[in-house]
Amino acid sequence: MTTLPDPTPLLTDANVDTYPLAGVRVIELAQGIAGPYAGKWLAALGADVIKVEPPWGESARAFGPWPQDDPHDETSGLFLYLNPSKRGITLNLETSDGRQILRELAPSADLIVESFAPGYLESIGLGADILRAGKPEQVMLSLSAFGQDGPWADLPWTELTVFALSGQMSLTGEPDRPPLKNGGSQPSYQAGLNALCAGLAAYYGAQVHGAGTHIDLALRETYSSMLELFASGQSSMGLEFPRRGNKVSAVWGIYPCVDGYAGLCCLPRNYDRMAEALAIPELKEPKFADPAQRLENEDELQAIMYGWFAGKTREEVHQLGLQHQFPAGFVATVQDLVESEQLNGRDFFLEDDHPRAGKLKFPRRLWRGSEHDWINGRAPELGQHNVDILHHELGYEMEDLPRLRELDAI
Amino acid sequence: MPSKRPLEGVRVADLTAMWAGPYATMLLADLGAEVVKIESPKAWDNIRTLLPPPMSPGEEWWNTAHYFHEYNRNKKSVTLDLADPTGKDLFGRIVAQSDIVIENFRTDVPAKLGLTDEWFRAQNEQIIVVGMAGFGKTGPDANAMGYGPIIEQMSGMTALSGYGDDGIPIKTGISYGDPIAGLGAAAAALTALIQRRKTGKGQYIDLSQREIMTAQIGEAFLDWNMNERLQPHWGNGHDWMAPHNAYRCQGEDEWVAIAVRTDQEWDGLVRAMGSPDWAGEDAYSDQIYRWDNRDVLDTQLSAWTAGLSKEAVFDACCAERVPCGPVLSMANLFDDEQLAARGFYEEVSHPQHKTWLVHGWAWRATDAGPCIASVAPNFGQHNEEILGGLLGLEQAELDRLAGAGIIADRPLGQLTLSELEAAGALAPPPFKLD
Repeated sequence: MTTLPDPTPLLTDANVDTYPLAGVRVIELAQGIAGPYAGKWLAALGADVIKVEPPWGESARAFGPWPQDDPHDETSGLFLYLNPSKRGITLNLETSDGRQILRELAPSADLIVESFAPGYLESIGLGADILRAGKPEQVMLSLSAFGQDGPWADLPWTELTVFALSGQMSLTGEPDRPPLKNGGSQPSYQAGLNALCAGLAAYYGAQVHGAGTHIDLALRETYSSMLELFASGQSSMGLEFPRRGNKVSAVWGIYPCVDGYAGLCCLPRNYDRMAEALAIPELKEPKFADPAQRLENEDELQAIMYGWFAGKTREEVHQLGLQHQFPAGFVATVQDLVESEQLNGRDFFLEDDHPRAGKLKFPRRLWRGSEHDWINGRAPELGQHNVDILHHELGYEMEDLPRLRELDAI
Repeated sequence: MPSKRPLEGVRVADLTAMWAGPYATMLLADLGAEVVKIESPKAWDNIRTLLPPPMSPGEEWWNTAHYFHEYNRNKKSVTLDLADPTGKDLFGRIVAQSDIVIENFRTDVPAKLGLTDEWFRAQNEQIIVVGMAGFGKTGPDANAMGYGPIIEQMSGMTALSGYGDDGIPIKTGISYGDPIAGLGAAAAALTALIQRRKTGKGQYIDLSQREIMTAQIGEAFLDWNMNERLQPHWGNGHDWMAPHNAYRCQGEDEWVAIAVRTDQEWDGLVRAMGSPDWAGEDAYSDQIYRWDNRDVLDTQLSAWTAGLSKEAVFDACCAERVPCGPVLSMANLFDDEQLAARGFYEEVSHPQHKTWLVHGWAWRATDAGPCIASVAPNFGQHNEEILGGLLGLEQAELDRLAGAGIIADRPLGQLTLSELEAAGALAPPPFKLD
């Protein structure tokens, strides 16, 4: 178990080439999940991500989980996961001093990530044209539910309502039950991964072409970009698609097994190897082995599959798939994952003995690069880097800071 | 004048097939990269023919499948048999003039083709190679097959989804692991490009599709760390908001999602419902009471929505600034006023298929024009442009390669629609489509 340092000293002149985004400054004016998730990986790739929170803390600090379910600003699991290796300052943009400080800080940024309601920054005199004016090669990445323009731009929303409007929800869940939202905060994370891509692409483009840009990312549109054969099948062929629950076909779905749930995803070309592996003679009969007859005998085949899975453990299913090369797996829990030989062997996790939150172990990277490393620092406490940024960088006197605090600006 | 696309001037040699890889290279192509999709004449991208005719109508139906078009717009198509030494040599010459190679083979496949890191480096010292095997290139699961629905289960995500009353995990409605991995691979390629600009060095990326997905359940890890708790299924509910659910509306299988975060939004919802008496009861007077009494509240709310269309509920809620979203079907999306105002869908056409709509930008520069510059390429459409133009092969050499089956303009052994019909050999889809 290691104890993680503050992120800044991790970067030195000697290792600067090891971190792809070393020397890149990001200002994160985003709360919740999507924007901060993008910022999390930008920071881990070496960017100096300055997270700007209101003096009362960003919204993720108010969401758990917390140790022993005891709410505290500095121990929100969601916040600790989304904000490692960033530096944190507080600014109240509702005050003129807060706005002035952001105006002074903005030109230092290569990338500004914001997720205010569309039009809010303009309304306080800090629109993209103002913030980017001092640095034309700067990239601004605006996240919103429905986009910066259009008739719905200012509608109130939550993750659930945007997911419903995306099309993904109509396809998810049992056919005889309501459409279902994906678990966890999945919709917000998928937008965040899109935002990471958008920020990297726009930053690269700005470097190569010498001109920055303003990216308009609508959460809903990122979700609606993933509708595979369903959206295009509707538009090109007029097809309608029902919800399928856990059964796309008898050999493509999730089944209960001895110690939980396991699944298959067999396309026609995978069927024979699966039938061989399951060693059920009936599966080789034409009524199942022939792709057309198989669809006609789905229910009978499904009954056989229920019976087979009921006698297998999750690991047995997974190992059969691995040995016989057909797509099989199981429904893994986080406990399975933190104990996984595959993941631990690939150095996927970060372990930290956090002074307030205790022992933590969670994903530390996205991929492995032969030429780069990932920075794994701690998430900032509220206003932890106010002195660094306001005093050391922007030149505010130490005496000014209590005054700004009193004015509610920081 | 739209801004330049960020990846103009970048060339990608694309060995990917199906969804995860092609989603990554679609993003790179949309961003302006020249993506050269390379398929074997004998083992083409299976997505071209996964949905058989008449799902993919057109005489050359491998060129018209909507499933194929979904992820392959803005790309070029070259056919090369990499198992043939000449084919592999030509691929090496493409790599020599490319910036990025992306492959989503199972781990043991590139090794069998001799496509090792050393081989790539010998072709081009600065090449960026992104390998996106399901479980990564190392470890006991390195050779496991990683289709999106399996990735989703193995990632920890499926365990978090379910209605909550029966303990059954529920899969997503799409092959969700695929686009998530694709986004991750595009981000990896972009990161390596940024780094190469500083250092001049190429890079090998070992991306596990499962790991990209697993990173998206962060708070579930923290709950396990802090409380040794496996997070429960919330269905469409929420751990402190109420009402927060999907409610049935008029019509067949029509639903609307409503979520209330504050007293102000609750008051708005009450007005939207026409201020019924029950809503004034003490049981609903603040957030905590509403949450405690959410089951009864859901029943009451459902009685209101059941008499209305989902659009009418949406309008009433919007007027009172209550978060609300009809559960939209695919057909609804194409009629959507917000998406229409933003030009989200773009029209594509193909000589063998009527015009249809495909989503454009996943995100866009505020001054961007349309996303789709060219419809997905026909099989081998750019053989002449790339092998002839870029590599400088003479026509006679191209003819010789075609004769030897090393390149092709039609998947070898594949019948056209009329040939299939004549032979009575129309295959069924991989699952029932209704």
